[in-house]
Amino acid sequence: MIDRRKFLTTVALGTASAAFLSACGQSSSSGQTGSADNPVTITYTWWGNDDRAERTRKAIALFESKNPDVKVNGNFSDFAGYWQKRATEAAGGGLPDVMQWDLSYLRDYGQRNQLLDLGTVKINTDAFEKSLLPSGQIRGKTYGIPTSTNAFAVYYDPAKLASLGIAEPDGQWTYKEFNTFLAEVGAKGNGTLFGGTDYTGIWWNFNIWLRQNNIQAFTDEGKLGFSKDDLKKWWNLTADLRGTEAIVGEDKATQLLPKSPFGSNVTATEVTWDNFMAGYLADSGAKELKLVPVPSDDPDNLGLFLKPSMLMVASAKTKYKDAAARFIDFMVNDPEVGQIFKTSRGVPASKTQRDGTTFEGTDKLVVDYEKSIEKYLKDAPEPPIVGFGTLESTFKRVTQDLNYGKLTVDGAVDAWFKEAEDLIKQNA
Amino acid sequence: MTTMATPTQPQPTKPAAPAPVYNPKSESLTAKRIKSTIFHIVALALVAMVLYPALWMITSSFKPNSEIGGANNALWSNNFSFDNFATAMEGIGGVSTLTFFTNSLILAVGAVVGTVLSASISAYAFARINFPGRGLFFGMMIATLLLPFHVVIIPQYIVFQQLGLVDTYVPLLIGKFLAADAFFVFLMVQFMRGLPAELDEAARIDGAGHIRIFGSIMLPLMKPALISTSIFSFIWSWNDFLGPLLYLNTPEKYPLPLALRLFVDQTQSSDYGAMIAMSVLALLPVLVFFLVFQRYIVEGVSTQGLKG
Repeated sequence: MIDRRKFLTTVALGTASAAFLSACGQSSSSGQTGSADNPVTITYTWWGNDDRAERTRKAIALFESKNPDVKVNGNFSDFAGYWQKRATEAAGGGLPDVMQWDLSYLRDYGQRNQLLDLGTVKINTDAFEKSLLPSGQIRGKTYGIPTSTNAFAVYYDPAKLASLGIAEPDGQWTYKEFNTFLAEVGAKGNGTLFGGTDYTGIWWNFNIWLRQNNIQAFTDEGKLGFSKDDLKKWWNLTADLRGTEAIVGEDKATQLLPKSPFGSNVTATEVTWDNFMAGYLADSGAKELKLVPVPSDDPDNLGLFLKPSMLMVASAKTKYKDAAARFIDFMVNDPEVGQIFKTSRGVPASKTQRDGTTFEGTDKLVVDYEKSIEKYLKDAPEPPIVGFGTLESTFKRVTQDLNYGKLTVDGAVDAWFKEAEDLIKQNA
Repeated sequence: MTTMATPTQPQPTKPAAPAPVYNPKSESLTAKRIKSTIFHIVALALVAMVLYPALWMITSSFKPNSEIGGANNALWSNNFSFDNFATAMEGIGGVSTLTFFTNSLILAVGAVVGTVLSASISAYAFARINFPGRGLFFGMMIATLLLPFHVVIIPQYIVFQQLGLVDTYVPLLIGKFLAADAFFVFLMVQFMRGLPAELDEAARIDGAGHIRIFGSIMLPLMKPALISTSIFSFIWSWNDFLGPLLYLNTPEKYPLPLALRLFVDQTQSSDYGAMIAMSVLALLPVLVFFLVFQRYIVEGVSTQGLKG
């Protein structure tokens, strides 16, 4: 038999010594820099599919060969799991040294002092568009460096339009013209091909429309910058199209999940970010897809901006600030990294990286599109408010109810405002 | 169990029915046949309904990505190929798919061994040894069943993080070896309470101690409960996503469920074909494990039903 008292003493001693040892480990390695013989190891984590894992592995190998004093341990997961894991790690104090980051989580983690102020370390941002950098900054501190950019666009499938005998759009259109176009596709599509999805259901599209009308989506204090009337006007834009063949029905779209109606060849157009190109091509099997700018009633103000498709951030608690900064600098600026990723992360944000990359095929289409809208670009918005993800999905859900006919436009506006105001109050 | 599985031939209930003038035997036979046909049609329809998703999954694993989901969702395709399996076996980010399989297997087997060992020993203590505070401890164990897993995630993570055990299999397996799965302990306690106490009293008279009674009397009698426990803990561990997601950092240590998710990325392109092909492969071990042991589950249920 084991003596109970002896057992307890052993356990207590064991726990104490483990705590002591881990404390020692922490203090001895803080602020360390490595050498080629004795490299420091930083961890880097990202979300993405098998393709991104392969490309990132190559980039890490390249970094290690150029920086023999740093070793990078990479690990990855899918997007949803990624944020569960980060939330747990943040609570447990163990965020990885360098992380791929999404704009909608930047303010949340930045405000909680989980992220390193990258202004305090050496990362070269000379090659970045000045209009882009504010999207990684909160109250003057830089928490994230954009790796790459997305812009909003209207996708269309030229083959489908040709088969219906409809001329390809040139991207200079008002909302009225866009609606007529959708209705025409729907009418000729004969119930098998619809014009598009209800574009008023996408938050970012609304945000762009607000910018076209010179209205701020969020005030500097993190409140809503638009009124109920604005939202009413927006949702009324497609009021005549809902329930017609111009817009694919919500029930049908739901049946197609997880694919999008556009990826399933059920609609001829889609309004969304330009980095969906590869996904749409793979899902639909289409030979070619094209991009044109979003409609605007003011031809000089398209409201467009470049949004970081992802950012690089570092943990506030990293012990290897210098190595982390060098790795981030390498990932965003190095031309060879651009060659590895092409546009799979979005169009490279740094000019050094962009110019050092050769783009072909679809990659070129996306890059050319972003070049074509250059003169319309305005400053990117600041990182969205905390809880933005919920606002965005509520926006989508309310529009779905609109399309099901469960809500009127007035009812939908009230429903969304109530949820939004509650959420903002909670996070204030 | 064979009699229960074949209720298809109802015994003739009225063998001595008053004979009508006109060929009675063939009529009752026809009626029987019609009944049996209807029964089979209904049963087959139900089976088809239940198996349809599995069938869809298997045929989809041979279809090109553009024909899976969306508008083009037929069961059959003219473009069947093994491409998806080839992609699935290529591995992810330099880690081969076999590694993911091996890791899943290590975790699942570890979980089975740990759970069976620890839960049966704890159950023996609860069922057969009258130690002080038994009722209290038993109540506390049951109470952990009511504690939602999500409540303990963060405290648990902090503990393992402080001990430097993150990125090892220890956080995933230690609970199994310490009988932390109250459900299984409870299952076994209930099973043991159903075993006649006279058996261990007889053994004790013959001079057996607790270890002897547990090893020679209880364990052999508990086979059905042990096997039910093994099956469930194998499947649960095989399917566990959140635990490995939180505790493992090195891709070389990832089990299958983490790898499966990587084929579907909503922010880039999704390879549903490869994901489904890998799902089919991932299903095989569970299926084999279940097929080998499922007769014991039925046995377990039936002996439990007969006792008393």
